[in-house]
Amino acid sequence: MNKAISVSKITKSFPGVLANSDINLEINEGTIHAIVGENGAGKSTLMKILYGMVKPDSGDIAIFDNKTVLNSPKDAIDSGLGMVHQHFMLADNLTVLESVILGIDKATFKNINLKRYTSEITEVINKYNLNIDLNKNIDELGVGEKQRVEILKVLFRGAKILILDEPTAVLVPQEVDELFNNLRDLKNNGVTIIFISHKLDEVLEIAEDISVMRGGIMVNTVSADGISKKDLAEMMIGKSLPKPPKRQSSISTSEILSIENLSAVNENGKKVFENISFKLNSSEILGIAGVEGNGQREIVEAIIGIHNYETGTIKLENNTIDDFSIRERLNLGISFIPEDRQAQALIMDMSLTNNVILGRQSLAKYKTKLTTVNLTNAAKASESVVENFDVKTPNTGTIATALSGGNQQKYVVGRELEDNPTLLIASQPTRGIDIGAQALIWEKLRNTRDEGLGVLLISADLEELIGLSDRIVVIYQGQFVAELQPEEITPEILGSYMTGLKK
Amino acid sequence: MNELFRIIKDKYVILTPLFLIIFIAQFEQYSQLTSSGTFGSALRLSIPILLAGLGGLFSERTGVVNIGLEGMMIMGTWFGAWGGYMYGPWGGVLFGLIGGGLFGLIHAIATVSFQVDHIVSGVAINILAVGAARFFNILAFDGIAFASSTASPRIEGEIGKFNFPYLSGGKIGENETTSLLGNIENADIFLVSDISALLLGFTSNISYFTILALLIVPLSVFVLWRTPIGLQMRSVGEYPSGSESLGVNVYLMKYIGVIISGCFAGLAGAYLVLEGPNVYLQGQTNGRGFIGLASLLFGNYRPFGVLMGAGLFGFADALQLRSEEAIQGLLVVVGVFLIMLTIRNISQRNIRGSIGTGLLGSLFLFWFMSSTQVPIQFIYFTPHLTTLVVLSFSKQKFRMPKKVGVPYKKGELN
Repeated sequence: MNKAISVSKITKSFPGVLANSDINLEINEGTIHAIVGENGAGKSTLMKILYGMVKPDSGDIAIFDNKTVLNSPKDAIDSGLGMVHQHFMLADNLTVLESVILGIDKATFKNINLKRYTSEITEVINKYNLNIDLNKNIDELGVGEKQRVEILKVLFRGAKILILDEPTAVLVPQEVDELFNNLRDLKNNGVTIIFISHKLDEVLEIAEDISVMRGGIMVNTVSADGISKKDLAEMMIGKSLPKPPKRQSSISTSEILSIENLSAVNENGKKVFENISFKLNSSEILGIAGVEGNGQREIVEAIIGIHNYETGTIKLENNTIDDFSIRERLNLGISFIPEDRQAQALIMDMSLTNNVILGRQSLAKYKTKLTTVNLTNAAKASESVVENFDVKTPNTGTIATALSGGNQQKYVVGRELEDNPTLLIASQPTRGIDIGAQALIWEKLRNTRDEGLGVLLISADLEELIGLSDRIVVIYQGQFVAELQPEEITPEILGSYMTGLKK
Repeated sequence: MNELFRIIKDKYVILTPLFLIIFIAQFEQYSQLTSSGTFGSALRLSIPILLAGLGGLFSERTGVVNIGLEGMMIMGTWFGAWGGYMYGPWGGVLFGLIGGGLFGLIHAIATVSFQVDHIVSGVAINILAVGAARFFNILAFDGIAFASSTASPRIEGEIGKFNFPYLSGGKIGENETTSLLGNIENADIFLVSDISALLLGFTSNISYFTILALLIVPLSVFVLWRTPIGLQMRSVGEYPSGSESLGVNVYLMKYIGVIISGCFAGLAGAYLVLEGPNVYLQGQTNGRGFIGLASLLFGNYRPFGVLMGAGLFGFADALQLRSEEAIQGLLVVVGVFLIMLTIRNISQRNIRGSIGTGLLGSLFLFWFMSSTQVPIQFIYFTPHLTTLVVLSFSKQKFRMPKKVGVPYKKGELN
């Protein structure tokens, strides 16, 4: 079989890290080849080298048996490679058609030949069964559609080899199925696909060959037939895969949070959620499942007091908190892990010690007699978080930017659990972090839950939701459509509720 | 064309007051509100704002905030006057464009290549331009009659003007034609006369420079939406790193956008000189660069929207110049419009909005009824006040380019 890509002895080091060490890799033409590994295993660096974004220190790359030196993405595109980035490279103000042809024509004042492009692109769409409306604006598209636009973009540029970087991270199970069907169509048309992931189930489903990376080295390349998930996991992390552990303890009957008939509209007067009622007991984790943008974020914001609500009441333990300010609510013991740690949870240019005070600044603990900031206590709290949550940092004076994503997240979770909250709202608590940090956060959440904490969990990771929650409610278009027991469901079932297929 | 229709649909906020204006203009003392003279000078006054706004459009679509439009316009006034003095009026147009473009280039170098904060660079340009124009003026015109440190000598000659034949009494060959629209205006028929006055204002005594400026509007639509370079420019303001990954030269696009921006602002300056007193005067721009930016916002970053915004400013400006009674009429219009908005706000249960519009509206009407003469200071202030009121109460969706004002470093992912 012909080799689409062969890489030999690639080495790349960044200051202090050996990102790729002596990597050899061969990818057969017309196959789907997966590359798996934990965050930081060196997958992304290897892909950036293949795409010409990073230059290797040494080693050779051959594409379709031609030895090539890739100096820029343009070289890679010219030799038939195309990359679909994890974060979509799409400008929201363009139409699909414009996004696809952007950059193809030289920047001149000539009229764009829209007719010709439309028919050419439609041809590509039909050939690979892509299902895209060319005249829509990018900001009207869902995540799955945007991804198809990205794929269309590289195919239209004549890519024969497609690199997909964590393509399923942002998709719900149904969308994943659709993507996989698309990928199979592509493969049948002779396109070679490199599929980067750390989700082993998906890799086993779609790929023919699997290469495993760990700590910058290529551990092994195996055929997907006849290899088990357990074997792969062991190769990937050197030990077996952690799973969110299911609970044993029983939920207490004391009510922490009670919400009745909550409804709200957004600034455009559109309903964001309607008639939301639920109760949360202490020692319970309640999971809210839903595709992003169905109102779960606004519900959380309403509980904290950021988002207004028109009707309904929120009760925290014995207090009706509708008229409470955000600060008063937080001081009653609400803790909040926001979905975007860098934008909402941490001030990136401040030290960890300063960051620990965020959200707790009005507590007596963090004030001196002169009502200035009590840095001694803050430093103590910060140290205890670093210790309890195994945050890898030189010291607590380090600024947040200097930490890796996993350590930032551990620090945020630790901070929120530091002052014994009564209610924890955890929004995407383990998004985009490595397996080690994920396992630690899961364990901490479970332990504090057992000690009496009530947790409201929102997550796009359905495995996590099912594994951690004691109860799951599904939100669809601003309304709760189902309440499910985690023992009885699979991610697929949950996914069909989330997309409104099942009611 | 679709663009135009959509804007009209979005902008009932403008159309309602327009109708009110026509209604009030039926009273004898306020007839100036819709005379062809008012519309004509509204057109002339709105052109510099339009050009500045279009300049802002090109810059901001590529992601660079251009608060320096005012400064570039000042350069346009001086270079326009100098070019006009040396090479005649059309030379003035050309040099105005070049002068503004040069300052656009400075802004581009600062913000794009050196990632200076866009506001800081823009303010610097505004300050620099005032001094630079004065310096150049002393340097170039020292010892020439009628020139001083703050004024240039007079430009000889004028840019040609024409009237449409039949519609507004233009000539065909040597023969004069009738002015159809003028006759209708004089007939004083409700609505019909007002509309023909509007058309007459826009078709009589039109300078070729005005036509050139108006042509830039559809040209901008064409360039930005129908050419590869426009597509690349728009993508750069929205998502530079994504565009870069597709081989778009982000820096070049930003440079082009900002330089075009400077050129248009320069044209605006030249227009002020050549269609105004025919000399450069210090302080001639009088904040019109900033008003241009406001009309850009008002027009929601679209060329025809900018045209509407500039027209509104120009109309209010023209009233101020032409007649004090008309300003009083404008008070009624604004007052009644605000009361109408209040009613709408109440029906939509927008309590805060209805209190605001209600209070302001009654204030305007009270003012109108309690005074026989509007204070002179207020007259100067009306154009801006009217526009402010319309702007702040037109609850519309603005969509800025996403990465406007964010410095972009090559190879950076964000």
